[in-house]
Amino acid sequence: MMKKISKKDMNRFIKSLLEDYTVYAPVNTDGIFSFKPIDNFQGIDPDYQNSKKPPKEIFFPQSETMFEYEKGKVTSAEKVSRKRILLGIRPCDAKANLLLDNVFAGEDYQDVYYINKRENTTIIGLGCRKPLSTCFCTSFGGGPFSKDGLDILLIDIGDKYIVDVVTDKGREILTNKFTEASEEELKLAEKIKREAEERIKSEVKIEGVKEKLDTMFESSFWDKLSERCLGCAVCTYLCPTCHCFDIDDEAKDSQGRRVRNWDSCMFPLFTLQASGHNPRPTGKERMRQRVMHKFNYFIENYKRAACAGCGRCILNCPVNIDIRKVLKEILTG
Amino acid sequence: MREREPKILAFLCNWCSYAGADLAGVSRIQYPPNVRVIRVPCSSRVNPLFILKALQQGIDGVLVAGCHPGDCHYISGNYIARRKFAIIKNFLEYIGIEEDRVQFAWVSAAEGARFAQVIKEVTEKVKRLGPIKKLVKTRGI
Amino acid sequence: MPEVERKIREEAKNLLVNKKVDFVIGFEEGTLPLRVSPVFIYKGDDTEKLIWNSFCENNLAVYLPEIGDKKVAVVAKGCDTRSIVALIVEGQIKREQIVVIGIPYQGMIDRRRIEKEVEGEILEVKEKNDEILIKGDVFEKVFKKEDYLYSSCKTCKHRNPVISDILIGEEIEERTQVDEYAEVNEYEKKSVDERWDYFNKEVNKCIRCYACRQACPMCYCEECFVDNSYPRWIGKGLDSSDLAVWHIIRAYHQAGRCVDCGSCERACPMEINLRFLTKKINKEVKNYFNFETGLDSATSPPLATFNVEDRQDFIDSGE
Repeated sequence: MMKKISKKDMNRFIKSLLEDYTVYAPVNTDGIFSFKPIDNFQGIDPDYQNSKKPPKEIFFPQSETMFEYEKGKVTSAEKVSRKRILLGIRPCDAKANLLLDNVFAGEDYQDVYYINKRENTTIIGLGCRKPLSTCFCTSFGGGPFSKDGLDILLIDIGDKYIVDVVTDKGREILTNKFTEASEEELKLAEKIKREAEERIKSEVKIEGVKEKLDTMFESSFWDKLSERCLGCAVCTYLCPTCHCFDIDDEAKDSQGRRVRNWDSCMFPLFTLQASGHNPRPTGKERMRQRVMHKFNYFIENYKRAACAGCGRCILNCPVNIDIRKVLKEILTG
Repeated sequence: MREREPKILAFLCNWCSYAGADLAGVSRIQYPPNVRVIRVPCSSRVNPLFILKALQQGIDGVLVAGCHPGDCHYISGNYIARRKFAIIKNFLEYIGIEEDRVQFAWVSAAEGARFAQVIKEVTEKVKRLGPIKKLVKTRGI
Repeated sequence: MPEVERKIREEAKNLLVNKKVDFVIGFEEGTLPLRVSPVFIYKGDDTEKLIWNSFCENNLAVYLPEIGDKKVAVVAKGCDTRSIVALIVEGQIKREQIVVIGIPYQGMIDRRRIEKEVEGEILEVKEKNDEILIKGDVFEKVFKKEDYLYSSCKTCKHRNPVISDILIGEEIEERTQVDEYAEVNEYEKKSVDERWDYFNKEVNKCIRCYACRQACPMCYCEECFVDNSYPRWIGKGLDSSDLAVWHIIRAYHQAGRCVDCGSCERACPMEINLRFLTKKINKEVKNYFNFETGLDSATSPPLATFNVEDRQDFIDSGE
C-alpha cells in the first residue's frame, strides 16, 4: 500500500504518537547520531546518514537489567511499559534485526526480553537516498529501499514522503493525513530508488565464502589478518548483527540486580575460563571466530550470513581493517 | 530534622596512623564518630581504586593517613604513596570532584591528639560539602 | 612518490634482505580516503606496499610488546619513538630487538574535522605540499594542512624522533613557544560543577569498546583492571558511575606513560575528548616530578620512584 504525507504533517503525526508511544529517533549529539527516546519532533536531521551505534540496542540494549532483587523479593524487568516506535532506521539495520530474530526469537531459544521489546515496537524505516561508498547492503539481498524488517518504509521525495506500508502493524498507526500517492509521485519515488541503487558501488561476493571457510580453520590467513588488529570491540559493538553478551550480578548486601551486557569475541576475557585456560588465547583465534561466526557458522545455522552490509565496521575500525577486503581475500587467497 | 551525618572512610597505616588512633582512644580523646577505619599495612597499599570504590558506594569522604616522611616502616612506602596521591588528588579535583572529598594526612603513632584533630577537621570539611552525589553508583555495585 | 616514502621502502628492503630484522611494521594504503592501515612486511619485495603521508596517524609502538623474540623494524614519528623509549624503560621491549625508522614530521591530519567540513562523502584525497585536496561527488575543496592537524600534533614539542636507528628526512625545527597545557589551564578555571558536568557528558558517550586502551602502546597489561574478576572493581555496563571510574583510572594509569600521541582519541568511535584527561595527568607529572615521558631511557618512571623533597602541599602534615 503506497501513501504519501507532507513533511509538515509527518512532524505533527510523530508528535501525536508521543502520547501513546515512546518514540526512538536519530538524535545528534556532538555530531554522532544515536537512537534515543525523543520528546519533540522537528523532522529528521538533514545530516543524518546512519546512527553510530546500530539500532539493535532498542531490542537488545548494551546494558540491560534482567531482574532486580531485594531481600528475597524479585522484580523482573522483561516487560516494556509502553509501546514503541522506532523511527528512521535504515533498511540495512532493519534487515539485521531479522538476522537477530533467528538468535533471540528462533526455534532454539525464545528470549523474553528481546521478544517483548520487538513485539511492542513498530518500525518506520527511512530509505537511503545517498548510500555511502562503504555501503554494500545489496550484496546481502538488501538495498537502500529494501522493506525487509520494516513496518513502514519512508521514501523522501523532497517536501513529502512516499509511505510504503509493509505490515498490518504499520497500517494500524496511520491517520487520515496519509493520503493516496499519485502516479507521478510514485514514478518519482521509483526514480529516486533506482538512482540510490546505482550509487552502491561496493560489492562483496558472498557465494562460496562459507565453503572456502570450511577448509580454512587452520589456515595461516588468520595470523596475517589479525596481526594489525588492536583487539578492541569497535567492529562488534557497532555491528547491527553481533549479539554476544555476558551476564553479570551487581549486588550489595541483600539487594542487587542481574545485568546483561554486550560482550565481544574480540576480547580475551570473552573465552577465559575459571581455570585460567583460554581456548582463544591470541588475536588470531579471536579474529577467526568473528569472521567464521558471521560467514560460516551463522550460514550453517540460519542459511544466511550475519552481515547486512551497513559498513560500520569499515568506517570505524581504528586500523582500517575492511571486511570487504577480508572476504575477497578469503575467496581468492 | 537532624542533619545527615557524613560517612567517612579512613585508610590508616598500621605502623603510625592506626597506632595514633589507638593512642587517641586509650587517652580518651573525643573525636567525631563519623569515621570508619580500614587498617592497611602502609599508605602505599592504598590503590587509588580503593578511594574511587568508596566514593562509588556513597562514602562522603575519604582520608588516607600514613607515617610522616622518613618514618615509614618499609623505609620508602609513604614516599611512593605520596607520588600516587599527588596525581589522583589533583586529577579528581580537575574532573569536578570536590577538593575535600579526598584528603591525606601524616599522623605518627605518638600523635594521638593530632589524630583526633585531623578527624575533626576532615569531618567538618566533608560535612560542609554535604552528601556525595557525583560518582555514586545508584543501582547495584 | 615523495622522497620519504621512497626512502622508507629502500631502508625496509635493506633490513629485510640483509636479514637484519624479521619484519617491518609500517603503513600501507587504506581502503578509504583519509585512511591508512598498519602493515607487517616480511619480504623485501613487499616493501613496495609501504607508504608515508599525513594520515599515518596510528602509533605503531602498540605492536611492539607482542613481538616475542623477533627482531623488528618500526616506522615511528616523534611521539611514537617516545612510546618506544617508555616501553624500554618499563622493561616491555628490548632496545636491541627494535630498529627504529624515525621520521621527523609536521603532524597528522585530523580526518574527522575535514569530514565535518564538507557536505557529503569524501571520495578522493590528494596530498600536495602544504595542502590536502578533497573530492566528493559534488564538491572539491582544498585544505591547508597546518590548520587541520590533530590537536595533539598542534601542541607537540617533540616532532623529531627521540631515538632512531635510521632517520628518514631532515630534522625539523621544534616549536618551543606552544603552550601545550593551555586547554588544561582553561578547563581548570571552570567551577567544580561545570568541570564535573563536562567530564560526565564526555564519559557517558563511552560504549566500553576499549579501543582507547587497545590503541595505546602503554596499555600493555595482561589483564586490565576493568577485566579483573577478583576483585571485580567496576561493573561492565553503561552505568555512568562505572564509566567515570573507568576513565579516571585509565587516565591515572597513564601517569608517566602518556606521550600525548593522541592514538586513544583517534581510535574512539564515539569521539570522546580523551586527551583532556591524559593531558592533565601529564601536566601534573611535569609539575610535581619534573618528568616528561620517553625523552631518555635512563630515568625511572615517576611512579616507580620518589624524591625525598617531593612536593606535599596537598597533604596535612601537621606543619
